[in-house]
Amino acid sequence: MRVGETLWASPEVATEKKPVGEWDEETLVLGIETSCDETSASVVKGGRQILSNVIVSQGELHGEYGGIVPEVAARAHVEALSPAIGEALLQADATFWDLDAVAATRGPGLVGSLLVGVAEAKSIAAVLEVPFLAVNHLEAHLYSALLVEPDATFPAVALIISGGHTLIVHAVNHGAYEILGGTLDDAAGEAFDKVARFLGLDYPGGPEIDRLSLLGDPAAIRFPRAMMNEPGFDVSYSGLKTSVINYVRKQEASGEAISVEDIAASFQQAVVDVQVAKTMAAVEPAGVDRLFLVGGVAANSGLRSGMAAACEAANVKLTVPTMELCTDNAAMIAACGRAMLR
Amino acid sequence: MLVLGIECSTPQASVAIGSEQGVVASALVSRGATHNEFLLPAIRFCLDEAGLGYRNLGGLAVSLGPGLFSGMRVGVATAKALAQTLSVPIVGMASLDLVAYEVRHTSKTICAVLDARRNEVFYAFYRPSPGGIQRMTDYRIEQPGRLAIGIASRPEEVLLVGNGALLYKELFESAGPVVEVAGMNQSFPNACALVELALPRLYREDFDSLYDLRPLYLRKSAKRIEWDRIRQSRSA
Ligand SMILES: [Zn+2]
Repeated sequence: MRVGETLWASPEVATEKKPVGEWDEETLVLGIETSCDETSASVVKGGRQILSNVIVSQGELHGEYGGIVPEVAARAHVEALSPAIGEALLQADATFWDLDAVAATRGPGLVGSLLVGVAEAKSIAAVLEVPFLAVNHLEAHLYSALLVEPDATFPAVALIISGGHTLIVHAVNHGAYEILGGTLDDAAGEAFDKVARFLGLDYPGGPEIDRLSLLGDPAAIRFPRAMMNEPGFDVSYSGLKTSVINYVRKQEASGEAISVEDIAASFQQAVVDVQVAKTMAAVEPAGVDRLFLVGGVAANSGLRSGMAAACEAANVKLTVPTMELCTDNAAMIAACGRAMLR
Repeated sequence: MLVLGIECSTPQASVAIGSEQGVVASALVSRGATHNEFLLPAIRFCLDEAGLGYRNLGGLAVSLGPGLFSGMRVGVATAKALAQTLSVPIVGMASLDLVAYEVRHTSKTICAVLDARRNEVFYAFYRPSPGGIQRMTDYRIEQPGRLAIGIASRPEEVLLVGNGALLYKELFESAGPVVEVAGMNQSFPNACALVELALPRLYREDFDSLYDLRPLYLRKSAKRIEWDRIRQSRSA
């Protein structure tokens, strides 16, 4: 026998797979997330316990362009995903052959990037002969709330707020969701990024505005709160962004001083006011006493504290994931995939 | 040793399973299904028809391109995941090498040419050598007209092969009487050639690092090109 042949033989592991339907709190799911600019792999046990959650951010790659470049993102996923999966298994002290299912984000997201994660997940599942689960990214964000609090459950109203999405959802049960409202134009995170770029702040702009707003006066400038007093749960942010631009231009034209800190604080306050009001308004009609604040912009300190205060006043239980679970991550994909096995 | 080869870098996708005794199963498609839809069912088909399972595979071979970005990524991502899960070694080969290898029994200089779209081609020059081919140049991207001029200026006879050679056949043939363009049947890189070429490397233990393996893009993304141009004009 030639050198190399036995050395690389596949592990002869008993592959007695559980019959479909026999999923329990021991079920191990590998999650893969490649929808945007984070490459992530995670192993989650029983849909609740995170054994590993490896997140490789591409932030620096896109920084020089001032925004995410799809082709750059797709290339980076091809390079980062295999090491991320290897590390996720290592940290979870598991092998591929311990897995009961493999879940990957199928969308929404960047098509070229999604393809990388789906191709790898399907391949792993094919070899292991376990189910492959195609997960909706927005649905998965809801599960980030279930991962941080052992007693968090559906039904709940959720605000899914990120660079790409702004949605108010009534999560009735696993797999049963009603979209109550969303943005008519820019997503909240997009508005943050656009305003930050206009103000000349570093990419990504959201965290920069959040940081500066702590140094400014949120009542300094009265930016409009579009749709706040209208019925329904939709929001609109393009007008707000334009008001910021007009304000700066006007100040410059009249030679008056501009405080970036005040602009950041006042802009952020406008977003928080609208978003908190709209979300809280959805809680009572939905007949729930739970609220999930999830997605990348849920990391925003103003939104976190604004929502916490409103929930406390209305006696609503609020769940906000940790910073790591607010950003795009594979643990929420694995948890959502686990729920799909039911 | 049984090797699974995956080639997805052109509009034609193919998979093949083979050993030193030759190819035992293969599948190929050049229209209809996307590469992503084709790949795993095709591998399943090859395994089933040959009476094999994934665990009989001792190595993975994958075409790294150059070629179409999305197809290359699906192929490389799939091959990487299969190799990682099975913990078998992986080797990557260039699509141009596979195309040139198909016409190795010539005495002429070989120029493998693949369509890169947007009026450009990927190419490399080879000379036949006993039992195979030897690459003489880097993998490059060029406008077909400029490649034709380059070929015309060569003293020796050149055999062009690949879908890029066929696409710009008249242009290349007008470069001079010493040019011949190979036919349709050799115009795409093929997983059978991939398996054949990968086997000696696997036996030599000339493996690629799974974590470092990436497609051969040769071309920057459109945004990158635009950005470089802006930066150049700023610094000028
Ligand atoms: Zn997200």
